Formats: sequence, structure tokens, C-alpha cells
Amino acid sequence: MANVTFPFPFPEHLSALLPEILVAVLAMALLIVDLFVPKERKALTGYLSLATILVAGVALMQVADGTSVTAFYGFFTLDPFAVFSKLLILAGTAIAIIMSLDYIRSEENVGEYFVLMLFAMLGMMLLVSANNFVTMYLGIELMALSIYVLVGYQRDTLRSNEAALKYFILGSLSSGMLLYGITFFYGVTSSLDFKQIGEALAAAPSSEHTAVLLGLVFIIAGLAFKVSMAPFHMWTPDAYEGAPTPITAFMSAAPKVAGFVVFVRIVADALPALEHETVMILSGMAVLTMAVGNLAAIAQRNIKRMLAYSTIGHVGFVTLGLIAGSGSGYAGMLVYLAIYLFMGMGAFAVIVLMRREGIQGELLDDFAGLAKVRPGYALAMGLLLFSLAGIPFLGGFWAKYAVFIAAVQAGHVYLVIYALLFSVVGAFYYIRVVKYMYFDEARVPFDFSENRLMQATVALTAMAVVVLGIYPDPLMELCRQAVIGIG
Amino acid sequence: MIVLSDYLIVAALLFSLGVIGLFLNRKNVITILMCIELMLLAVNLNLVAFSHYLNDLAGQVFVFFVLTVAASEVAVGLAILVAFYRTRRSIEVEDINTLQG
Repeated sequence: MANVTFPFPFPEHLSALLPEILVAVLAMALLIVDLFVPKERKALTGYLSLATILVAGVALMQVADGTSVTAFYGFFTLDPFAVFSKLLILAGTAIAIIMSLDYIRSEENVGEYFVLMLFAMLGMMLLVSANNFVTMYLGIELMALSIYVLVGYQRDTLRSNEAALKYFILGSLSSGMLLYGITFFYGVTSSLDFKQIGEALAAAPSSEHTAVLLGLVFIIAGLAFKVSMAPFHMWTPDAYEGAPTPITAFMSAAPKVAGFVVFVRIVADALPALEHETVMILSGMAVLTMAVGNLAAIAQRNIKRMLAYSTIGHVGFVTLGLIAGSGSGYAGMLVYLAIYLFMGMGAFAVIVLMRREGIQGELLDDFAGLAKVRPGYALAMGLLLFSLAGIPFLGGFWAKYAVFIAAVQAGHVYLVIYALLFSVVGAFYYIRVVKYMYFDEARVPFDFSENRLMQATVALTAMAVVVLGIYPDPLMELCRQAVIGIG
Repeated sequence: MIVLSDYLIVAALLFSLGVIGLFLNRKNVITILMCIELMLLAVNLNLVAFSHYLNDLAGQVFVFFVLTVAASEVAVGLAILVAFYRTRRSIEVEDINTLQG
């Protein structure tokens, strides 16, 4: 019998990748299975994708043992931080798929739609486990390429195509900038591993300071694009408005989690030597992001576009956690992202519900008088919007509380006062929607088709926001546990 | 003798050409795709040059990943462009103007 020898040692701790391997294999299998599913029963593919996510979740809980494991020659890390963010990503994708089940029934090629969502999810799972620029780049691109296609999924709708095109062009530009920055770090440190780069940068001679700064600026710019921080946010409103609403919900939550997690890893592992410069750049961007997001949202008549700017505003608040650094800052970011996942996706789910015969249900006017016809929808939307505005005792309040406290502890008092001012501005446009729903007369007819799954999603997210608002301690404790060992 | 900085300068020029072309180009979306490709090639040149002068293979391996991803990126980009052309009947940059506000 021939003795098979590998030309290289077999990857250690391969089991840490079990969830990713399962998602990759099952998604590819699903692509083939979908060919044999008759056209009128395409929802089956959706249910199978949900099953895939469930399998991945179970596998993740199996391999997660609360310790930090490095696998695949040190290219992949699985620590509590990665596990927690993967759970968030799985939950976000699952909610987005449930929202899609009914929404895209009339479209063609429904099967690929769900598989693409799984691949985007796979990219994000790799991204949050990346401790190396190669893994990070591959994760980002797998995520981004899938989402470009998903944004343009309604192929005969000009809006959708145009959104995909704009997102694609600016997304590729950001990838290019990110890579260009990476090359300088590589050139200075001759490593692509976050931790090794961090050590090498601390010891780098001052003659290489220019190259290091160049790398830093380009890397931060590239990542800022991905999480839509101003001034790199231009794609966000267009992509959010043009994309199918479930994809908008998906984009507003899961990729932001993944992007911020890898941002945290880079800032904590690779950039401690450049802390001063990093904090300075990020503070400037946070100030701009909060202003742009919250001010531009006021002018919008389209709710999807308004929520896009509101996402930008929230990204600004999350950045405060990144600036604060240390355990409590990163934990605050996780709390914020987890709660935002529910309230953001819930609000988009209501917009999906508002779609009715001939009306997209995306304009402010479409919401006028909703409370009289559908008090349940109006109540859920109201709760979600109040939570987004950060009214105490709803989930969104604790999200803001967690990052603001961390930022104050880190000594950024002025930034927090500024952020508080803009959350007040933000409250204005959220509450305006509530005014439309409760105090205005109906302007367009309401004849909703029943959609039990969506109603359940909205009810669940609204309830999550209320429960987290009353009892946030378990989530906060979980997040604190998750970031132990980071930074 | 060609030194490291020569490569870096060429790469920087290529990269700037790509970025400038992307923003100044008012004509055609295909040109934008070419500019993106130019940026990625500048990145690859940087990586290979560093890799050679540092005597470290990782950079050259990374180049292969970048090349592969760039290929799939262009495939997706052209597909999106074709879909856009079918509905808009134009690939002029000025005609990408439905979404505004």
C-alpha cells in the first residue's frame, strides 16, 4: 500500500472550522438540490437554508469551549469573541431568510438567492475568525461579492440594478484601498498576521513611520467603507434603497457585525503601537459619521433611505466603543451590535409587511394612519423606532449606554456629549414616523395580505427589544465574557 | 540597479491612476472596471516587490489570492453591468442617476 505523505503538516484543530465547512458543503449541495425543486415550491430551498443555519449553529456550540483555538496554520482563530459574533451573524441571516421567504416568491432564480445568502454568511463567519490579513481579505470578498449580487437581485428593476452597480464600484474601490494599505504593513513587518504585525510595528524604526502611517490610513479607510463610516458612506443610502428589503435588513445588521469585529481585532492586535494615531483618525470619522447619519436622515421621505442614514448614525455610535478600546469598549460594541441587529431588522421587517398591491410601502406617506387599521403593526414599529432612538427602557437605550459609559471611562467626555446631542437629533426623525402612524389620516389604501411568518418575526424582534430593555444584564454579561482576551 | 523604492513608486503611480480614473471618468462604466483592475494590479506589484526584498514568500502567495478574487470580482461586476444595461439601455456613468437624495 502506498504511503501517502502530505507535503506539509496536516492542518491542526481542523474541527474548529466545522461550522464553516458544514455551511460551505451544505450550501453547495443546496445549489444542486435546488435544480430538482419544482418552481412553485421554491420556498423549500429557503427552509433548507434555515436548516443549514441551524446545523451550523449546533456545530458552533459543539466546537465552542470557551477557550481560544488557532487552526489552519494560524490563519483561523476561534475564541469566545468569534463564537458570539458568529451566533449574531447566524441569527441575522436566519431572520433575513425568513423575511425573504414570501418577499421573493414572484422573482426568478429563487434558489440561488438563498444560497448566495449562505455564502455571504460563510464569508462573515470567516471574517470574524480572521487573525490574518489573508483570511480577512477572503472573508470580506466572499461576503461582498455575494451581497453585490443579492442587492441587484430584482434584475428587471432599474433601482435594484443601479444600487448593485454603485455598491459594486465603491466596494471594489474600498477593497483596493484596504489591500494597498495591507501591502505597506507587510512591507514594514514582513508578516500578514495581526499579532505579529502588532509586535513588529512596536519595534519598527522611525524611518519607516511614513510607510506605516500610509498603511494605517488606507486600512482604516477600506474598513470604514465596509461598515459605512463617513466620509466613506456614500454607497449606503443607494444600496439600501435599491436592494430588496430583506437584503437591506441583512446588510444593515450582519455585515456590520462582521466588519466591526474584524476592526476590533485589527485595532487591538495589530495597531496598539499606533494607538494615538488610530484614536485620532477614528474620532474624526466618528464625529463626521454621527453628524452625517443623523442630519441627512431628517431630509428623507423614503423610510428605507431614512433607515440607511440611521444605520450610518448608529455606526458612528458603535465607533465610540472602538475608540474607547479596552474590554468595556469592545463589550459595549458587541452589546450595541446585538441589540441593533434586532431593532434594525425588526424595522425593516415592518417595511416588508407594508408592501401591498401596487405599493412598495417604503414612503413615509404609506405609514400615515397605520395605527387605526393595524394597531399591532403600528405598536411594533413604534417600539422598534423608540428603541432605535434610544428611549429608556428599551433595548436601544442600553446599547447606547454601554458604549457611552465605556467612552467616558476612557476619557472621551466631549465625544460622548457630542454623541448625546446627535441622539437627540436622531430621536426627531424616528418619532416623526410614529407621528405619521398615530396622528395622521390614511393617504393610501391598506389592504394587506396576511403573512404569518413576517408577523411572527416582527413580534419577536419587538419583544426582544422590550425584554432586553427591561433586563439587559445577561446580554451585557455575555458580551463582557466574549471580549476577555481581546486587546 | 532597480531598488525597492522604484517598484513602490511605479505601484503608487498605477494605484493613483486607478483611483483618479475612477473619479474623473464621466464616460463609461467599463473604464471604471479597468481602473479597479489597475488598482489591484498595483497592489500585486507592491506585494511582489516587498516579498522579493524581504525574502519572504507570504506576499507572493497573497498575490495569487488577490488575482483569483479579482477575477471573480470582474465576473460579478460585468454581470451586474449587463443586467443594468438591459434595463437602462446605456452604460454611461451619467445615466446611473435614478437613486438620489
